[in-house]
Amino acid sequence: MDDLHVLGVICILGVTCYAMRAGGYVLAASMRDDGIAARFLQLAPGNLFIAFIVGGCLSGGLAGLVGTMVALVTMAITAREWAALGAGFGAALAASAIGL
Amino acid sequence: MTAAGVRRGLVAALPFLLSNGAAGLVMGLTYKGLGLGAEHAILFSLLVYSATAQAITLSMWAHPLPVVAMVVACIATNSRYLLMGAHLRQLFGGLAPRKMLPTLFLLADASWLMTSSDADRNGPDAGYLLGSSIPMAIGWVGGTALAYAAPLAANEPLRLAATLLPTMFIATLLPSQWKNVRSLWPWLTSAVAALLVARFVDPSWSMLIGGGCGTLVSMMERTDG
Repeated sequence: MDDLHVLGVICILGVTCYAMRAGGYVLAASMRDDGIAARFLQLAPGNLFIAFIVGGCLSGGLAGLVGTMVALVTMAITAREWAALGAGFGAALAASAIGL
Repeated sequence: MTAAGVRRGLVAALPFLLSNGAAGLVMGLTYKGLGLGAEHAILFSLLVYSATAQAITLSMWAHPLPVVAMVVACIATNSRYLLMGAHLRQLFGGLAPRKMLPTLFLLADASWLMTSSDADRNGPDAGYLLGSSIPMAIGWVGGTALAYAAPLAANEPLRLAATLLPTMFIATLLPSQWKNVRSLWPWLTSAVAALLVARFVDPSWSMLIGGGCGTLVSMMERTDG
């Protein structure tokens, strides 16, 4: 496979991904502010957070679930992201080390 | 778009230097194993800049390259960006496209989630989106480059950091998203739907479909109330 061919494919995929990133922003210009779609978008973030976390926990296995729960609880108690991430990652590593 | 917003996002997203760095490193090691040159691998991470799209197209790597199938796979896995982009339009619709469109080049799941959370707390500021995107992009592209520059191999702590840190970081934002007890049913719906989609359909669709189902429940609750 020649370099130019690979380079061309990478560029095509890059343009495709950027089109997806910018597409929603550009298309939403024609959306009514008081319509159903606008209301859906206003309510979407928190629900997408949860779905994102569930997906992440699944791919991380039991150790991932333990780490995420520890991070969440630490954040609720301390309100410090660095503490929550440190505690969560430490818990996930420990859980992984004992075979969870 | 303020300088203070850029700074606030940059500082908040610093942990992603580590997690995206680890993930980019794993991606780079995979590219290396495939025989892709360093320049191509770095360009891949820079231009495509999407773990899911890169992982999927990587799994389709063949001679000759199935370009159309790869493009379709990128569209399918990245369709969630359409929703994120439309939401960002609601937040930053007044901003000139010449400022917003280049920033969207670096849009990622985590930077969008963080920006949404920050907009709730401090008001919409596209600077936050740009600032939070920078450490993520540096980590991802830098990690890919490091795979070629250093004699490294993938190991368990690296895999865990790449997989879990983004999830844990978003989990730390959850308390700011909790409105009241009415958040409970939509969140439960999102979790169950995401779980089912990841288990029985495809993990890359779990965020979009799970979050979409929960949002529909949120809309019904608001209508009922």
